[in-house]
Amino acid sequence: MGIFTKLFKNAADPANTLASPAEGKTVDISEVPDPTFAEGILGKGIAIIPEGDTVYSPCDGTIDLMFDTGHAVNLISDSGIEILIHIGLETVSLKGKHFKTFMNTGDKVKKGDKLIEFDRKAIADEGFNTIIPVVICNSDSYSEIVAETAKNVAPGDLLMTLKK
Amino acid sequence: MKTFDYTIKDELGIHARPAGLLVKKIAGVHSSVTIEVKEKGKSADAKRLMAVMKMAVKQGDTVTVTIEGDDEDAVAPEIEQFFKENF
Repeated sequence: MGIFTKLFKNAADPANTLASPAEGKTVDISEVPDPTFAEGILGKGIAIIPEGDTVYSPCDGTIDLMFDTGHAVNLISDSGIEILIHIGLETVSLKGKHFKTFMNTGDKVKKGDKLIEFDRKAIADEGFNTIIPVVICNSDSYSEIVAETAKNVAPGDLLMTLKK
Repeated sequence: MKTFDYTIKDELGIHARPAGLLVKKIAGVHSSVTIEVKEKGKSADAKRLMAVMKMAVKQGDTVTVTIEGDDEDAVAPEIEQFFKENF
């Protein structure tokens, strides 16, 4: 896809796109080694194998829930997309260790605002997979969700496009 | 209307995965299902994943589950069993 086509596509409906919240490589959600995500129990989505230690907001919206363990965050975009960003697998059991949150439940955020820092190496050293599934909890509200899989992404790059 | 109380035994409470499993279990139910933690003054439609997660139900919380609709007699015992087995 040429740059102009891409720009045009992004410009077409920016309210229904999500930016990558992290730096890394994207994979299909079905490749996440956890059936809760791979089988879409939480919704359709994508996953990022992180190469950084920070999660940023993928859109303008509101923090619906900052998990007190810091391992996950729920956002609702200004256009109504319900997004769960989950850092690592089974990381709820770390009970907050290696995670630092920068926003609270109820906060308004802009795309690119820093949400969470995590110590990727320390989490991996404790035996956890650090993959970051990003899922749309209200997937049923969309006829199509296009995920940019198998790409190297920087925070802010296009990650998903949703169609009503 | 059918209702039951259940006190959460799982050490980690109802976080993302259990919330997903609960919503999936209830998705096919015709009745409306609400969960409420009275001591915290919070309630949610159990068919809405984000709403269930936002409850941030913890170990020791007593959840009141209310099932109301034409299939309530059939599904209430199943839902109660699901809570016992998973939470």
